[in-house]
Amino acid sequence: MTQQQNSDKSDHLVRLIDLYKTYYTGTLEVPVLKGLDIEFNKGEFVGIFGSSGSGKSTLLNILGMLDTPTAGKYYLEELEVDQMEDHELATIRNKKIGFIFQSFNLFPHLTVEQNIEVPMVYGNVPKRERRERARELGEQVKLGHRLKHRPTQLSGGECQRIAIARALSNNPSFLLADEPTGNLDEKTSGEIIKLFHDLNDQGSTIVIVTHDPALEAHFDRTIHLRDGRISHGSPITFGSPHYVD
Amino acid sequence: MLTRDLFGLSFHNLLLHKVRSTLTSLGVIFGVGSVIAMLSISEGAKQKALAQIEAMGIDKIIVYSKKPPIAGKDSGQDNSSMTESFGLEKKDLIHIGKMDNIDRITAMRDGRKKILKGLQRLDLKLVGVDRSFLIDSVSDMGKGRWLAPADFKNRRKVCVIGKNVKRKFFSLGERRVIGRFIRIEGDIFRIVGIVDNNLGTQYPELGSPNDMIFIPMSTSMALFGNYAFTREGRSVKILNIEYDLMIVKVMELEHIDNTSKRISAYLQTSHSKVKDWGILVPLDLLKQRERTQNIFTIVMSSIAGISLVVGGIGIMNIMLANVYERRKEIGTRRALGAQKSDILLQFLIETVFLTTLGGLIGIGVGIGISQVITYYADMPTVYLWWSIVLSMVISSLVGVVFGTYPAWKAAQQNPIEVLRAE
Repeated sequence: MTQQQNSDKSDHLVRLIDLYKTYYTGTLEVPVLKGLDIEFNKGEFVGIFGSSGSGKSTLLNILGMLDTPTAGKYYLEELEVDQMEDHELATIRNKKIGFIFQSFNLFPHLTVEQNIEVPMVYGNVPKRERRERARELGEQVKLGHRLKHRPTQLSGGECQRIAIARALSNNPSFLLADEPTGNLDEKTSGEIIKLFHDLNDQGSTIVIVTHDPALEAHFDRTIHLRDGRISHGSPITFGSPHYVD
Repeated sequence: MLTRDLFGLSFHNLLLHKVRSTLTSLGVIFGVGSVIAMLSISEGAKQKALAQIEAMGIDKIIVYSKKPPIAGKDSGQDNSSMTESFGLEKKDLIHIGKMDNIDRITAMRDGRKKILKGLQRLDLKLVGVDRSFLIDSVSDMGKGRWLAPADFKNRRKVCVIGKNVKRKFFSLGERRVIGRFIRIEGDIFRIVGIVDNNLGTQYPELGSPNDMIFIPMSTSMALFGNYAFTREGRSVKILNIEYDLMIVKVMELEHIDNTSKRISAYLQTSHSKVKDWGILVPLDLLKQRERTQNIFTIVMSSIAGISLVVGGIGIMNIMLANVYERRKEIGTRRALGAQKSDILLQFLIETVFLTTLGGLIGIGVGIGISQVITYYADMPTVYLWWSIVLSMVISSLVGVVFGTYPAWKAAQQNPIEVLRAE
């Protein structure tokens, strides 16, 4: 079903063209990404794999617009974002990207409901609308009964569900998750992956960056990085996901 | 980010760390407290001093006799003489009375009598006065009447007593004092009224009208003449003083400076031998006092202001530590779409909240301190509305000045670094 859906879509959501990222530490040049060409289509569920030092975190930062590439192009829905100003990037992060972190990064002093509202606060959504949307999202991640709790009263899996609900709050173009199951046990990991599948079935585009090979089977498509280059996997979408290995 | 959300968030963050927030704003609390207390104390002192000066009357010039500095035993003059003459004389009174811009002159002469209650000597003065003294000394009649024209004309032995005289002379229970007699060195005077000077007037060399027994000048002249006997050690001296005090009322206040200069110039020439007179212009004194008081106020509030600066630096320090501690929060907020300006304003508003709340508490502390001082040290304190408004404004400003750098620092945090640090 998912594959069928994906194959029907040809419009690009994200296009990275010949993307380079080099860090400069004093006189030393450290090239991290070395000419990446990657595309994501709407409704895809993509996994980006790579070991430590492969450049996957840098790629995640650029995809999440927390960092800008040294060279190359980054298009998001035909917007050229690689040369945007900081304030424009912040607006795009807020409206078009849903961030999910390995350690959830919930605000411990806010209730679950208030945590879900945070991106909407920065998106100037009026309070009543925010409350309504937070309740909907709480229900969607099956934690509607815990909206008034604080993150410290929740389990790890529940926290990650809330983080996902928060990421969805501004109806982003895609969800970007950084090792979302890294801090969870196997059973809970499975539940979270299932939630991602459900969301993907409902039409969300999801990109997950991880080093966990156990997750590989879950994705429509995987991209493997090594030393700043794509070692294998499918950087662009063909009719259906395929695995080179 | 909506303004309401921004304020709500900042306030919420402060409430999260109540103890830390309170400790952080202690500097501002005590800074503002000391500014308020200093200003209210110095304003109280100022108003008290000014009221005393004003009580002499700002349209008056006070001319008085004073004992000249001792001529010196080497000079040999007057030393052997039993009689010592000095001070203001009748001719001075007449001459000054003829000058321009003089409305009238009220003269006063101290009888230099020993006033005894039983064997105890009381610190009171028997003085001969003109009829206009009551008005010119800005005093009121407490009870009875003031000296009447007939008292002067007939040199009657009547007196009006100051309110302290009644208290010192008669026991508490005695209500009816008017009509009773008072005996001073063999002369008996009938009391006709009680004077009440509640402005706290103090005349040079003579003191407060409340400590005086007033008799008509004509009676004084008839009974004692210009002479008074004093005992210094074993020798008895005869003092020859015509007038002890003149209250000169001017017609036009704006020319009071010139008039007082002219009086001084005249007295300098007519009393060229020794300086046995003094002149005092309450208006000048008032201005001078105001000037010194203002300087005092500025110095005091500057010292208190320094503590505000110190408090501000303390707040900046803690806010910087706060920014470091909350890197993860900042990074997450930035990743979720917070603009740099949202972060900057969040931290800035937190600091301004802290200092403004500190300022509010400080005002309470300041008022408390000055109340305690008024109560225990018996010093008057006056709160000035502008000092309270100013303290509020300054404490908010301290927040802006010392909160900007930490807030800027927070906004400059690189979200990648911040998230990686976790």
